[in-house]
Amino acid sequence: MKRALVLATLLGLAPALYAQAPAAVASRTKTHVTTLASDAFEGRLSGSAGEQRASDYIISELQRVGAKPLPGQDGYRVPFEFTAGSRDGGSWVRLGGRVMQRFEQRADIQALSFSDNADVSDAPVVFAGYGIVVPDSQGFAYDSYATLDVKDKVVLVLRYFPEDAEAKTKGILSRYSDLRYKAMAARQHGARAILIVAGPNSPNAGEIVPMSFDTALAGSGIAAASISGAVADAMFATFGDPGKTLKAAQTALDDANPHAAGFEMPNVTVTIHTDVVREKKTGHNILAYLPASSGTTGVQKPWIGIGAHYDHLGRGEVGNSLAEKGDIGKVHHGADDNASGTSAVLALAESLASQPRKRNLLFQFWSGEELGLVGSSAYVAHPAVPLDQMAAYLNFDMVGRMQDNKLSVQATGSSPVWSRLVEQANISAGFDLQVQPDPYQPTDVASFNQASVPCINFFTGTHVDYHKPTDTADKINFEDLDRIVDFAAAIVKRLGDTPEAPTFTKVEQKTDTSGRAGVRIFTGTIPDYSTDVKGLLLSGVIGGGPAEQAGLQKGDVIVEIAGQTITNIYDYTYALDVLKIGQAAKVVYLRNGERRETMLTPAARK
Amino acid sequence: MRPLHLVVAIACAAVAQLGAAAVQNTSAGLQERDFLTRVRRLTVEGRRAGEGYYSPDGKRMVFQSERDPANPWYQIYTLDLTSGDVKRISPGIGKTTCAYFRPNSDQILFSSTHLDPKSKQLQDDELAFRASGQQRRYSWDYDPEMDIFALSEKTGSLTRLTTARGYDAESAYSPDGQWIVFTSMRDAYNRQLNATEKAALERDPSLFAEIYIMKADGSGQKRLTAEWGYDGGPFFTHDGTRIVWRHFDESGLYADIWTMKLDGTDQRQVTTFGSMSWSPFAHPSGEYFIFSSNKLGFENFELFIVDTAGTKEPVRVTYTDGFDSLPVFSPDGTQLSWTSTRGGGSEGQIFLAQWNHQKALEALRNAPPRTMNVRK
Repeated sequence: MKRALVLATLLGLAPALYAQAPAAVASRTKTHVTTLASDAFEGRLSGSAGEQRASDYIISELQRVGAKPLPGQDGYRVPFEFTAGSRDGGSWVRLGGRVMQRFEQRADIQALSFSDNADVSDAPVVFAGYGIVVPDSQGFAYDSYATLDVKDKVVLVLRYFPEDAEAKTKGILSRYSDLRYKAMAARQHGARAILIVAGPNSPNAGEIVPMSFDTALAGSGIAAASISGAVADAMFATFGDPGKTLKAAQTALDDANPHAAGFEMPNVTVTIHTDVVREKKTGHNILAYLPASSGTTGVQKPWIGIGAHYDHLGRGEVGNSLAEKGDIGKVHHGADDNASGTSAVLALAESLASQPRKRNLLFQFWSGEELGLVGSSAYVAHPAVPLDQMAAYLNFDMVGRMQDNKLSVQATGSSPVWSRLVEQANISAGFDLQVQPDPYQPTDVASFNQASVPCINFFTGTHVDYHKPTDTADKINFEDLDRIVDFAAAIVKRLGDTPEAPTFTKVEQKTDTSGRAGVRIFTGTIPDYSTDVKGLLLSGVIGGGPAEQAGLQKGDVIVEIAGQTITNIYDYTYALDVLKIGQAAKVVYLRNGERRETMLTPAARK
Repeated sequence: MRPLHLVVAIACAAVAQLGAAAVQNTSAGLQERDFLTRVRRLTVEGRRAGEGYYSPDGKRMVFQSERDPANPWYQIYTLDLTSGDVKRISPGIGKTTCAYFRPNSDQILFSSTHLDPKSKQLQDDELAFRASGQQRRYSWDYDPEMDIFALSEKTGSLTRLTTARGYDAESAYSPDGQWIVFTSMRDAYNRQLNATEKAALERDPSLFAEIYIMKADGSGQKRLTAEWGYDGGPFFTHDGTRIVWRHFDESGLYADIWTMKLDGTDQRQVTTFGSMSWSPFAHPSGEYFIFSSNKLGFENFELFIVDTAGTKEPVRVTYTDGFDSLPVFSPDGTQLSWTSTRGGGSEGQIFLAQWNHQKALEALRNAPPRTMNVRK
């Protein structure tokens, strides 16, 4: 029995290397999350009273741990201006020439949100097809302006892209069919205004483009308006040819034959007045710092940034709410998104305040993230600490819903230092890490990558409560959130103690995002961005949407749509481009490893 | 190199189906979390890492990783499991693989090609090739210049233990540190080959791989196996009385787990699993082996356990698609470490989890008796 005895010792008594940390230590993040995600903070919409209240809380916590305003700054808050919304202030269009007709109803004409406020008088008109220009670099010749002279004229173009093109062509063209991109192409060709009409063969036929949410502070350098089918028909009627209609013109273009050209409309002129009223608001980033404990002589780039966005969706008024029908207009608590990250940064400030450090620690709380990284973009444009003095930036966005010990570290490709630091810190932290080198993430880390600062983002994955009022504090995994704080503290400590600064690596962007691919298609899927599974893992489906109707559910992995194999999110967005609204497409997916099929009928996104 | 990526890389539709219909349902109702908890990732840096082996005190690990910017191939590193400090211990020139700590000693063995005069040039050529943006499909080339070396961590001196031409690798010390069991393809180079054998060597040198044993100083090298087909990946059992290894058939597509005494006698087949079963490692309790098999899909390697006598059908341990292989238990038997692609991408990294020994024993008790999956 000797062997058995030895083994009993081995198995029973030897201390495990990775013993769990002793429990019953009070959470360092729970109070922060619970406070910031409470009703009183009203969803922390940028520029709102809720944002103000949240910033008051954050500042009082920073003061408590001894973090100070930056030298030369007036307090902790740094304001930035943004466009909170836009509406049409009275645009109208008047046709001249063979027809004299004025349209001023919003059902007939409405400025696009990015339009200049401008007046154009009696300008000649050119129908420029879909108004798509594919850059030469794509090796695919398609230029709606190739044979046209539109200088100082008004162009009339179709919304979307050729409807009957083969799937691959459609995929390419759709990338350059975003309205902003079309407006830019028209402007570059010298046009004075662009009018958009949804052709009779397209979804939302003849309807006005709704005023989209756009955070741009100013117009895009051209008058741009959406007109109804009735206005376009009135213009086509001036040909006096029953065969020459908008429908006929669109149909000629719809097989994407690059040689089907646009044409002048010699019998009509356009006078147009565009008026976009942009409601300006002021959001506030919060900056505070803990100085290096022993001076920074001999230390390269003596600052480390640690940040998170603290804004959220308010009551869902800005448009990217995913609230279920019965919940629309309720407070979006944003406990995970991103009271969790905000709390992680506060807890880090508290734990790092008592430790010696060779670099200054800059704590950065962003507003305007939910509106499109507006706060961090404004900061990077006017940094309080020169960007070339930043050794690194660590970001936390949605870190409160850890499951099965899985933590994503993203943007690690921005510097070779990350894999080394992450590996080392994880030996004691012990996460089941998903490492995603891509720095082009939909969070503030992207602003710093753009500014060539080595950066990293921590993320515990999306979930069914994402961007819904149900993202509440009671669903937060505080124990693992605290572990993330310790993990990041170990990384900051290593970074801070090394006199040499990490090098920045520029990562090429995987796909061209100059066009907003697939934006007109609505499938009702909620992709899980946090994994690297082969295919598209769904973290949920939108209630009543096409995906739910097709029987898809959380956890399914889509591997094929309409004959196109899907290995990642990029393939998926590409595949969306080629789907037809209202036309069922075969979807192949894996459920618990079993291959299944269903038919999904995409709907139109308004 | 214990893995068989060369074999795996052979796309073979005929065997893609193998086992799929005949999946043993021994593990009905069981899941990965029944055996593995607190799964965590040990290695992050570099293109790939694998073959992590514990130090006898369980406080360190030695592993291979492609992470040296100046060397495109595996080099050998030690990892301190408390501080997370990583240190390269191999020369940095040429290819290396299959390291192992010597018990009761400051030595670590590994295989290396650094003495090959062509090594540096081959390495620079490969770096230039990769810098051009091209990629090869991963394969293991059984470099005949590969020999086994022992490094003294105290003095830094490197002792060459094998000199025969032919791949010498896949080696491990006995629990008392006095013996080394290893794999060698020297049989292809130390004699006149007939025409059939020459053709075979061209096609796949691993057919000549056999298991050998030697003293820890490299003396007394002795061949233990004789069967045609790749014999490799040997380890001692924890009581030091037997050797566990895997034997491939001639097709290179089927392998099973075997054990034998240290003198090569009493060879016993532990699995007849009808698939590619390899990388066996013994649990310190002496009750069972863990190994990897593509029973559930040609490119989907999962971990299984089987009782040491092979009286039962193997029990499935991992349930994650992709590559799960090269398992080892910590010396105290409470942890499992293995190489997996579960972190994303196609390249393996080393993972670690708490091991549920009691659940393993229970699952093995409940497993049905072994059936003989006789092929052909």
